[in-house]
Amino acid sequence: MSTAGKRILMAKTGLDGHWRGPTVVAKALRDAGFEVIMIGMARPEEVMQASIDEDVDLVGLNIGGHVDVAVRAIGMVRESRPEVPIFVGGVVPPHAKRKLEGLGVEVYPPGSQLPDIVAAAVRLTGAA
Amino acid sequence: MNSNNGNGRVWNTASGLHLKNFYAPDDVPESHRKHVAVPPGESPFHRGAYPTGYRTKPWRIFQLSGFGKPEDENERIRFLLEQGETGFIMEHDRNTGDHCYNVDHPDVVARREDVGLTGAVMQSVRDIDICMKDLPLATSYGHAGGAVVQHAPFALAGYWTVAKQRGVDLARLPGTGQSDFFLTYLGCVTKQQIPTRDGLRFNADIMEFCDKHLPRWVPVSIAGYNGADTGLNAYQELGALFANAVEYLEEIKRRNTMPLENAARACGGVNFRASMDLFEEASKMRAARLMWQQLLERRYAITNPKVANLRIHCVTAGSRMTYQQPLNNIVRGTVMALAAALGGVQSLGVSGYDEALSIPSEHAHQMSVRIQQILQEETNIQAVTDPLGGSYYVETLTAELVERAWEFFDEIMEQGGFLASLDSGWLHERAAENQSEDFRQQESGEQVIIGVTDHKDDVSPFDVDGFMGVDDAYDVALERLHEVRRTRYEKGASQALGALESVCRDGENIMPAMMDALAAEVTLGEIGDVYRSVFGDWATPIQT
Repeated sequence: MSTAGKRILMAKTGLDGHWRGPTVVAKALRDAGFEVIMIGMARPEEVMQASIDEDVDLVGLNIGGHVDVAVRAIGMVRESRPEVPIFVGGVVPPHAKRKLEGLGVEVYPPGSQLPDIVAAAVRLTGAA
Repeated sequence: MNSNNGNGRVWNTASGLHLKNFYAPDDVPESHRKHVAVPPGESPFHRGAYPTGYRTKPWRIFQLSGFGKPEDENERIRFLLEQGETGFIMEHDRNTGDHCYNVDHPDVVARREDVGLTGAVMQSVRDIDICMKDLPLATSYGHAGGAVVQHAPFALAGYWTVAKQRGVDLARLPGTGQSDFFLTYLGCVTKQQIPTRDGLRFNADIMEFCDKHLPRWVPVSIAGYNGADTGLNAYQELGALFANAVEYLEEIKRRNTMPLENAARACGGVNFRASMDLFEEASKMRAARLMWQQLLERRYAITNPKVANLRIHCVTAGSRMTYQQPLNNIVRGTVMALAAALGGVQSLGVSGYDEALSIPSEHAHQMSVRIQQILQEETNIQAVTDPLGGSYYVETLTAELVERAWEFFDEIMEQGGFLASLDSGWLHERAAENQSEDFRQQESGEQVIIGVTDHKDDVSPFDVDGFMGVDDAYDVALERLHEVRRTRYEKGASQALGALESVCRDGENIMPAMMDALAAEVTLGEIGDVYRSVFGDWATPIQT
């Protein structure tokens, strides 16, 4: 197995436009051979729809706001594509991180290093 | 250790300028030496904007603040003022503010929990009035919010309308707007935004309006900070900031509706980032003053010392505050604040130690104020103006930053100017290059961040869990929106909105119509709808 042909959806759950984090992560994932589909700021139902339309192997959510918006997006993706893993990055305070991890979602807060994020994507997509 | 061979390591500044082990008189470029003997407060001002520095005017303690309902934000602002803050900043909710949406817009409803997380929700002048309750408007320096360009006219008109209603003479009202292109079109690209050309018009309109009615107000504040925290290095931040100023000045010159000197004075209240490279950042503030004087004299033949002395507000780099071991950030905030103070800035905000986790808790906010008070009151650094002046190292670095920054400025001009460099995504590419390089250096060990790349053990007994904010901001905002629509004089509101739309289409100054619209209790989302129908949407050059 390799990363070739593995597709990752990246979306921002909030309306905060800071793009430094998601674009750096997207570049690292592309450099590792993944195909990354970025849809920018998306409502929970748009994230869910894109995960179906784009037939992705992994969903990455960038949180710039309240964790419960991401939780709603995660719930919707899981309902329609239960087999697709999800990971999350962004400004995720410890209380929100605990909540997400309780849902079985991996969380990469500020300070996470790119090789760790790429390794997670490899593992979660079964590309290893 | 000699110049660059300490253990084989090459020593550079954060922006990649090579450093020697020590500096001698001959290192200072010949052309720069003449500036060193000029006292502060005299042209070219690189040694300080004012002759007596902090002795007569300590830097303003000026913290970004806001969350929740307008009354929550008001309470936090009053807390900060009690703690010793000497100006205040009113942050509006970003979801609604940046996009000029009311809370019942489908894009906001879909993210209702986000509402109030980053600023108070202010959809009409009534909300702004609540947020400004008991604030000392006539005597304190206020920041009205409106960092994002399309939001600024609403935020400013709201603040001014409330001030007027309280009997404050606008001609004497102190304060500042922001309407920053770096935030709006570079660092924090919104889902929807008026095109840059229309944004330029808005800012020139605000400058004209202030020139006529609010001479003590800083109409717009160019925030290199937002370029730097997106990735631009020190000399790129400098070069881009002055390229932005040129864009404003050329527009005012073209209009010929106010004296160019007044416009230059209006543009001369800027915002820089202070990051962790202590001497480079202090040198950057000195370089900025020198460059502003050079720009005005060479390009516009402006030499009036009341115009050519750049005034700087500085904010410590939020991106350098770590999620891991957050109390370490108190030290980082102190070092960055020191860089700003040594650089002679007029105003300073220190990021909260919980910056990477959430908006500041009350305690983090208090610490940001205390850091500044300790520096001002306990270290004696206010006694001598430009204490780094004459240092062979700092003067050399200042001169080198000026040189590199003018080169970057020229590159932007070759792109067709600042707006063109945003429209094409050229400036975003420069920032993105540095972002990736930063990560590469962290992986290679060239850049160490304590608690992140090294020394990761944390034994702190203090839990920092991130500030939770309030959970009723959305519901209350929705109620208040309905109440405004129910109880305002509808005919007046709809006439004011119609007049605003005509002005937007006709190209007259939008601010008088905006003042009327706010007074008539027109709401933020209605104004946003006008913008969207008249101006359309900026073609974002980057994919997020």
